[in-house]
Amino acid sequence: MSPVSGPRAPARRAFLGAAGALTVTFAAGCGALPVIPKRPDPTPRDAAAWIRHVDGRFVLTIPRVEMGQNVLTALKRIACDELGVPWERVEARLHGTDDLPRVKASVGSDSIREFALPLAQACATLRDALAAGRTDGVLAAEPRPASSLRAFARGPSRAGRTHPIEQGVAIVRGEPLYAADVRRSGLRFGRVLRAPASPELAARVEALDEAAARAVPGFVALVRDPVLAQGLAEGVGIVASTPGALDRIAAALAPRWRIDGSFDADDVARAIDVDRRLAAGALAHRPRRDAFDPSGPWDVDLRLDVPPAAHAAIEPRAAVAEWTPQRGLEAWVGHQDVFYVRDAVAARLSLDASRVRVHGMRVGGAFGGKTVVTVELEAAVLARAVGGAVKVQWTRAQEFAQAFHRPASSHRVRARLRDGRIDAWWHAFASGHVLFTNAVLPPWLQGLTDRVGDDGVARGAVPPYRTGATRVEFDLVRLPILGGPWRGLGAGPNALAIEQAMDALARRAGVDPVAFRLAHVEDPRLAQVLRRAAQAAGPRPVAPHGGARTGRGVACGIYKGTSHAAVVADVAVDPSDGTVRVVRMTCAHDCGTVIDADQVRAQCEGNLVWGLGTVLVEALPVGASSIAAATFADAATFADAPIPRIADVPRMDVVLVDEGDPPGGAGETAIVASAGAVANALFDAIGYRATRMPVRPADVLAFLRAGGRG
Amino acid sequence: MDIDVNGRRERLDDAWRDETLLAVLREALGLVGTKYGCGTGLCGACTVLVDGRAARSCTLAAATLAGARIETVEGLARDDALHPVQRAWLDASVPQCGYCQAGQVVAAVALLRDTPRPTDADIDAAMAGHLCRCGTQQRVRDAVRRAAAAMSGGVR
Repeated sequence: MSPVSGPRAPARRAFLGAAGALTVTFAAGCGALPVIPKRPDPTPRDAAAWIRHVDGRFVLTIPRVEMGQNVLTALKRIACDELGVPWERVEARLHGTDDLPRVKASVGSDSIREFALPLAQACATLRDALAAGRTDGVLAAEPRPASSLRAFARGPSRAGRTHPIEQGVAIVRGEPLYAADVRRSGLRFGRVLRAPASPELAARVEALDEAAARAVPGFVALVRDPVLAQGLAEGVGIVASTPGALDRIAAALAPRWRIDGSFDADDVARAIDVDRRLAAGALAHRPRRDAFDPSGPWDVDLRLDVPPAAHAAIEPRAAVAEWTPQRGLEAWVGHQDVFYVRDAVAARLSLDASRVRVHGMRVGGAFGGKTVVTVELEAAVLARAVGGAVKVQWTRAQEFAQAFHRPASSHRVRARLRDGRIDAWWHAFASGHVLFTNAVLPPWLQGLTDRVGDDGVARGAVPPYRTGATRVEFDLVRLPILGGPWRGLGAGPNALAIEQAMDALARRAGVDPVAFRLAHVEDPRLAQVLRRAAQAAGPRPVAPHGGARTGRGVACGIYKGTSHAAVVADVAVDPSDGTVRVVRMTCAHDCGTVIDADQVRAQCEGNLVWGLGTVLVEALPVGASSIAAATFADAATFADAPIPRIADVPRMDVVLVDEGDPPGGAGETAIVASAGAVANALFDAIGYRATRMPVRPADVLAFLRAGGRG
Repeated sequence: MDIDVNGRRERLDDAWRDETLLAVLREALGLVGTKYGCGTGLCGACTVLVDGRAARSCTLAAATLAGARIETVEGLARDDALHPVQRAWLDASVPQCGYCQAGQVVAAVALLRDTPRPTDADIDAAMAGHLCRCGTQQRVRDAVRRAAAAMSGGVR
């Protein structure tokens, strides 16, 4: 999340020299202002706190959250290379708020891009001091050029080098690593009950049966505290001596809710409809605004609708909080920013920040979804209420109903060719907010941020091609379901729109889609990954037996200006039932200097699966005023909001291109190409343009039966 | 009541009688390798072996398990010697966030006990109920193949 402007933090942290600090203030009469995370950029001086030498060993306190990107492994490799010591001599630890000066949230695929260099600089300083005979004291790390650092020295073995994953043994042995694995003496279990409606709607309890709840074995406490409200939705806290008792207490309590207002799926569709907005005039934000004739005719005119989708981390968010009168609050969390948790909990509980200590645990998947403070605050409130330790882990139903999701977006791309080249390009879209999420900002504050725009929504919207006269414009729409950062932010949906349009333009021009892109690409690194992906994909697959229709699609893109990816996807469509199977995906990826090739590949593989899921699998069903269950159950489950399963995932090949450019990000890059490649392969197979995500077998079948190309 | 977990007899006091096996393992016995993912048996993170068969501990009532033989991920290694499936999981660098992996490892152990030389279709069928959001599915397949090879003496 980007900071809004505000006063500087007091002098206590001034030595960090970080920009963008904010203090927390309260506005009279309208409740607490949301606490906004601070985003200091790392410096070599900060990095000196990350590495310590103790009795011949080195302790590396990782300034990032470990959530599966395996940053523990990558930054430990930097430290080992720079210090010139074997793997075993460096102990890598996760950080809490007491362990380091403030570091910013682990978001944006920034771990290597921003942190590798200062870490290497700090390690070089430490190494030289040890060599000079110094064994204690505090060093000031100097900035040194990357060219002088061993961690970035180029050698023939670099790209192929792999390392054991830190915490890997503990993972496969089932040792305690995650927030919900923390056990404390006298631990109780908590949950906060809310109305069966989006937290966007004001809701409060009209009646509940406290006596019945108290009669349930294991009942510990009923906690009514205004701090438990999420947005305008009241929360009712319950605490029990065992986890299962929470279900029985909730059932006995049987709260009756009053919910103000309502909405359904049509309301969301209408609010986000880009054509309706275009009919009313120009959109509010214009990253590119060249003059051109908007009246057409157009060679390509595509509509794309992307529904909300869940992060669906397999770990539902969890926190353990422990209150002691002497020490205040201690919490163990699985969150992308432990400092933000501390600040928000301290502000909401009116505690001095020094009375709140937050430990970062390994996170069981985050993908941008564990960036706002929810379960952590719930655990803190309940722990203080009962004067002890309380564990709260959201149920899967809570994850679907109360978390924020990928926002819905709606796109219209129009483009014109002249002499086989793109002469005019117009991409208009409407999206729910991403960085300025409605999960944190009330409408009045979003009214202010809307003047700035939303870089998360805009991410990747300007095409990486020469597109002639170009207009890119968008509207931000406060949707009634919560939306926010999701892997790749707006870049995923934006690239899916751009890459489908590029495919359609290539076909219109009668040119091979790779050649067509190469003729319009400006960045040589993008051209390189495109060529390498096409080359690695090899000849088109032979159609399998049984009448399946096969197709191949390509897409490419640049993420955050520093990383490049191209993907070739092969699909097979079964005309008898409309199922679309991705049979192979090939990715070429250039994120600059590669520190850990195996784990960059792993990130690419993840993004390939996410792109496949975007096109073929994922959507959250919106029902009556909430994310709704489509099945018999009373709350949404993975049956209502599926994610790709193992049989959906094809063979994936990843080619890493490393020409020694500075490190870029790998955690989200390939998502700009994976979905487009799948969608374009589907068109190649049967002529069906995927305009409404996800594509379901029934859509394909209806298309084929209506005489779709064939 | 008593339950048999990883070859040890564990006494459960009455407060835990109405809990799921998952809650008992994690909170009463401290065996936290088995994870809560969905509570409805749809994700596989809570997978354990009950009398040798893969089962979803989040939907099993502890009270029904007196006399059953329960194995969890913590029971797979022999002291420092990892189970071949665990070894294969590391050799193939499967884990990203790792949260679903203990359930996947246990499911793979069950698969290989029944089907020592699984085809890819066998693997996909056995692991179909195990969700991984990080996208490790290709490496899961690879690790199961490696484990199968290692457990049959390297001959496939």
